[in-house]
Amino acid sequence: MNLVDHFRRLFTQAPQTPGADEVERLRADFAARYRCFRDLLSANQRALEALADLEQAQAGEHSPTMAFVRGRATATAVNVFRMIQNLEALAPDRYPGLGESFKAVQASVEAALGSAPAPTEGPLVRPLEQAAIGGEALCGPKMAVLGRVAAELGLSVPPGLVITTRAYALVVEHNGLAEEIARLLQIADLERMDSLLATCSQIQGLFMRSEIPTELAQAVQEGLAALAQAAPTPLRLALRSSAQGEDAAGTSFAGQFTSELNVEPTRWDEAYRGVIASLYSPPAVSYRRHMGLRDEDAAMAVGCLAMIQAQAGGVAYTADPLDSARQGVLISSCWGLPKAVVDGSWDCDLFRVTPGPPLRLAQSQVAAKQRQYVCDPAEGVLPTLVGPELRQEPSLSRAQALELAQAALMLHEHFHGPQDVEWALDKNGKLYILQCRPLPSSGATKLEALVSGAEEQLILRGGITAGPGAAAGKVRWVQTGGDAVSFQEGEVLAVEQPLPRWAPLLGRAAALVGIKGGAAGHLASVAREFGVPALLGVGPGGRDLAPGQEVTVDANGRAVYAGRLPLPGRPQSGQSLPDTPVRRALAQVIAQAAPLNLLDPEDPDFTPQACRTLHDLTRFCHQKAVEEMFSLAAQEHFPLNAARQLYYHAPMQWWIIDLEDGVRKPLGGKYVCLEDILCASFHAFWEGMLEVPWQGPPPLDAKGMASVMFQATANPALATGVKSRLAERNYFLITKEFLNLQSRVGFHFSSLEAMVTPRASDNLVSFCFRGGAADPGRRRARLAFLDEFLAGLGMAVSIKGDALLARSEDLPAPECLTLLKALGYLIMHTRQLDMIMASPQRVEHYRAKIAADLAALGPPSGA
Amino acid sequence: MSSFKVLVVDDERDFLESLVRRLQRRSVDAAGVTSGEAALEHLEREKADVVVLDVKMPGMNGIEALRQIKQCHPEVEVILLTGHASVESGVEGLALEAFDYLIKPVKLDELIERIMEAFDRRKVVGELTGSPPPDQS
Repeated sequence: MNLVDHFRRLFTQAPQTPGADEVERLRADFAARYRCFRDLLSANQRALEALADLEQAQAGEHSPTMAFVRGRATATAVNVFRMIQNLEALAPDRYPGLGESFKAVQASVEAALGSAPAPTEGPLVRPLEQAAIGGEALCGPKMAVLGRVAAELGLSVPPGLVITTRAYALVVEHNGLAEEIARLLQIADLERMDSLLATCSQIQGLFMRSEIPTELAQAVQEGLAALAQAAPTPLRLALRSSAQGEDAAGTSFAGQFTSELNVEPTRWDEAYRGVIASLYSPPAVSYRRHMGLRDEDAAMAVGCLAMIQAQAGGVAYTADPLDSARQGVLISSCWGLPKAVVDGSWDCDLFRVTPGPPLRLAQSQVAAKQRQYVCDPAEGVLPTLVGPELRQEPSLSRAQALELAQAALMLHEHFHGPQDVEWALDKNGKLYILQCRPLPSSGATKLEALVSGAEEQLILRGGITAGPGAAAGKVRWVQTGGDAVSFQEGEVLAVEQPLPRWAPLLGRAAALVGIKGGAAGHLASVAREFGVPALLGVGPGGRDLAPGQEVTVDANGRAVYAGRLPLPGRPQSGQSLPDTPVRRALAQVIAQAAPLNLLDPEDPDFTPQACRTLHDLTRFCHQKAVEEMFSLAAQEHFPLNAARQLYYHAPMQWWIIDLEDGVRKPLGGKYVCLEDILCASFHAFWEGMLEVPWQGPPPLDAKGMASVMFQATANPALATGVKSRLAERNYFLITKEFLNLQSRVGFHFSSLEAMVTPRASDNLVSFCFRGGAADPGRRRARLAFLDEFLAGLGMAVSIKGDALLARSEDLPAPECLTLLKALGYLIMHTRQLDMIMASPQRVEHYRAKIAADLAALGPPSGA
Repeated sequence: MSSFKVLVVDDERDFLESLVRRLQRRSVDAAGVTSGEAALEHLEREKADVVVLDVKMPGMNGIEALRQIKQCHPEVEVILLTGHASVESGVEGLALEAFDYLIKPVKLDELIERIMEAFDRRKVVGELTGSPPPDQS
C-alpha cells in the first residue's frame, strides 16, 4: 500500500475512542504526516532556491546557459509538483484544481523554454539563386545573401545548391539527436575546457555517425547531377556552413564553423555531416554560451558550391574595422585559395582602395608569401610552396584590386553598411564572391596609446591592432589543446598563429597577442566582438614573452610592457545587460514562475484556480499544508498528540507538537508545561529568547512577561506593519532530539530545524529566513544584518535572492545548544528589523546592542 | 560500510563508475549496473534500499524501469537522476512514486543527502505498513 492510500484510508475512518494500539498507530500516522509535511517544506525550499537561482542569473552580468535555465526551471516545477503531491497526501481531494493549475503553469513555462520551431515545410534542397526566397530561415543568412548577390547584383558567385535547415531538422529528427544533445549539454560543465572539449566531441560524434534519410540523399544527388552537367570541368564542391544567426549583426560566428573544400561530389554526405557537426564545435558552443544564444535554436543550412580553383583569393573589408571614420576598401590577398587569409595563418598582401570616383589604389603593401593553399588533385586542400618568382609579386594587379573594390562597394551599398567579403579569382582571372556578411565595427574612431611613459618596461613594439584596448595579465602560451585546458581566467593569451580554435579562450582572456596574423582573421573579429584587446602579427620578437610573466598589452599603442601598468578605466560596458535569446527565455520563464499573486490567505481568491505562477503554487501549498497540519480539524485526528499551547507562568502564544518522545508523560490537557518538555534544543532556544529582556526593562512578573511574549509573538504589526493575523501561529515540532520551528510573520517566514544527538556527525542546526515584502534595498540590508551575526556564530550562510539560509553541521551537542540559544536570542530581537532598517543610526545602535548581548550570552543552563 | 544498500543505474559507464566509487568512498554500500533490465535482475538477486536511476537509457528507459521496480519491489525507494531536464518526465516519475527527481550535474553531497532521506522514508513507511524493516547488516 502506498502512502497516499494509507492516508486516504486513515482519514475516511470514523473517529473512535482509541485503545492503546490505536494510540500508537495514530502517533505513527502523525509522524508519517509530519514526514509528508517536512517533505513538502523541503520541496518548497528547493523550489524557491531554484527560483532564486534563476532570478540571480537574471541580475547577473554573464548570460547563463540554456541548460542552466532549463535545469533550474525544471527543478522549480518538479518540486512544486512534489509539494502538490504531499499536500494531496495530507488532505486527499481537498484542493481540486491544483493539478490543473499546475499543468497550465507548466505548459507556459515549457513554452518559454521551448525552441523556435524548426521549419517543417519547404524543400530539402534549393538552387543557390533561389536561396533568399521567403527569408533566411530555410537557407541560412550566408547562402541567402549569396543568392541575392547573384540574383540582385549580377556579380559572379559559384554555381551551387543549398541543403536547407529543414534538411538539418530532418537529420536531427531521423537520428533522434535533439534529446541526446540536450542531455549531454545539461550534464557538462562548460566552464571547464576539458569538459567542453569532451562534450563537443561526443555531440559531433553523434552527427558523424548519423544516417542521412533517403529522401534527403535523393534530393541532393539530383541537384548535384544537374550542377555537374552545367560545370565546364569535373565538378568539385565547397561545402559551406550557413547557420541560423551566423551572420546576424553583432553575433558573427566568425570562423566557428567548418567548411569542407574540394569535395568529390559522390562523397558529399561525409562532408555534409562534418559541416553540420561543426554546429557543436567547441568554439561554436562556447560562442553561443558567451553570447547567450540557445543551442536548440541552432540549425544549419549547408551550401554546396562549385569549387573555384583560385589563383588568388582573400578578404575585402569595405570599412576599416578599427577606424570607422576611415573610408575605403581594405583588401587582404594571397596566392591560391583565400583560406590562408581567412585563417590568419600567413602573411599576406594588403591593399587600400579609396572611394572615388574614381577609385584609387592608395596603398599596396606586398608581403613575402612563402606558402599558399591549393586544391589537392585527389581531394581537399593542401599547403604548397609558392614559386620563388611569385613570392614577392603582388597577388592582385592594380586593375583587379580596383575591380574587387568596385564589387565590394556595390555590396556595401546594397546591404546597407560595411561588409566583410570573401573572394577568389579563378585561373582566368574571373572574380567570384564566395561570401559576404556585415562587418562588425569596434565603434572606435581613433586609437590612442593607453600606456605612456613606460619605455623602460617596453618588451616589444609593433604588430597590428586587431582589437582595441589595453589590459594586463600573466602570459600563457597556447599551442596545443592541453595548453588551452590549463588557461586561466584573466591571463594574456599568447599564440603563434591566431587560429579560430582558440576562440573559446577569448571569453576568459585579458588580452590576445599573436606572432602572426592580422585584423582580418576570424580570431581577430571574435576578439573585437568580445572586447578583448588584441595585438597580432607582432613578429618573432613576441616570443620573448615569458610564460607566467605579468605583462600589459596596449593594443592601441601596439606595444607590450613588463608588469601591470596603470590603465585608464575601461568604459563601462553599458548600463543595461545585453539582450540575448537565453536572457529573453530566462525573462519569460521568470515571468511564468516568479511573480507572487496570492498574498492573503484570508482572501476568498486564495484558491488553486487563482494560482498563476509556480511561486503562487508554492505559497498556496505551503499555507494549506500548515493549515492541514495544525488546524483544529487536523488535530481532531490526534487527540493525544495534538498541538498544545505552551504554558510558562501563563499560556504562551507558542504551540508544541510532540512527534515522538519530546514531552514527559503522562500527557493530556490543553497546555504543556515548560518543565515537561524533554527536548534539549527547545530549552536552549527558549532560554535564548528570554535571556535578554526584550524592549526596555524586564517585566519580571508572569503577567508582564506573558504580555511581552504575546506582543512579540502574536502581533505581526510590530514587525511588518501588516494587519494582525492570529491564525498564523508559531509551532514547535519536537522529539527528544529534534526541533523544528515554523514561524510566519506577515510575509516573512522563518524556520529553524535542529537535530542534536550525542553523535556529532548526525547533528544539524539550520535556520532559514525569507521575506519578500520590503523594497530590495531594505531586503538586502536586512539579510546582510542577519548574515553578519549568523556568520559570527560560525554558521555557513548563503543568501539567494530574498532568502537567507544558515547551517551548521557536525557540531558536538553542547555547541549546538549554545548556537540554538544564540538563535533564540536573534530571532526574538531581530523581529523589528524592517522598521529599523530605514534609519542608519538605529541600525548601528541595534548592531552594537546585539553584538554586546551575543557576547554576553552564556551557554544554556542545561548544557 | 553503511547499513543500507544503494544501486546506481546509468548507461554512461564513466558517470556510473565514478558515482559508485565516490559513494563507496563515503562508506555507502553502492553497486552499479548499466541498464534498467540489469537493475531488475540485480534486485532479484540482491536487496537494495535505494535505487538511483538514470531516466534516459537505451532499451528500457528509467521511467519504465521505475514502474517495474515499484511493481516487484514496492519497498525500494527510487531517486531519478536525469541529464535531460524535463518537467514532464519529472512529474511522471514522481507520480510513479519516485522519491525525488534530480537534475545532473548534481553535487555528490546533495545526492547523498537525498539518498539518506529516501532511506529514512523507507524505514518509516516500512514500519507503518508492516513490511519487513530494511537490512541492518
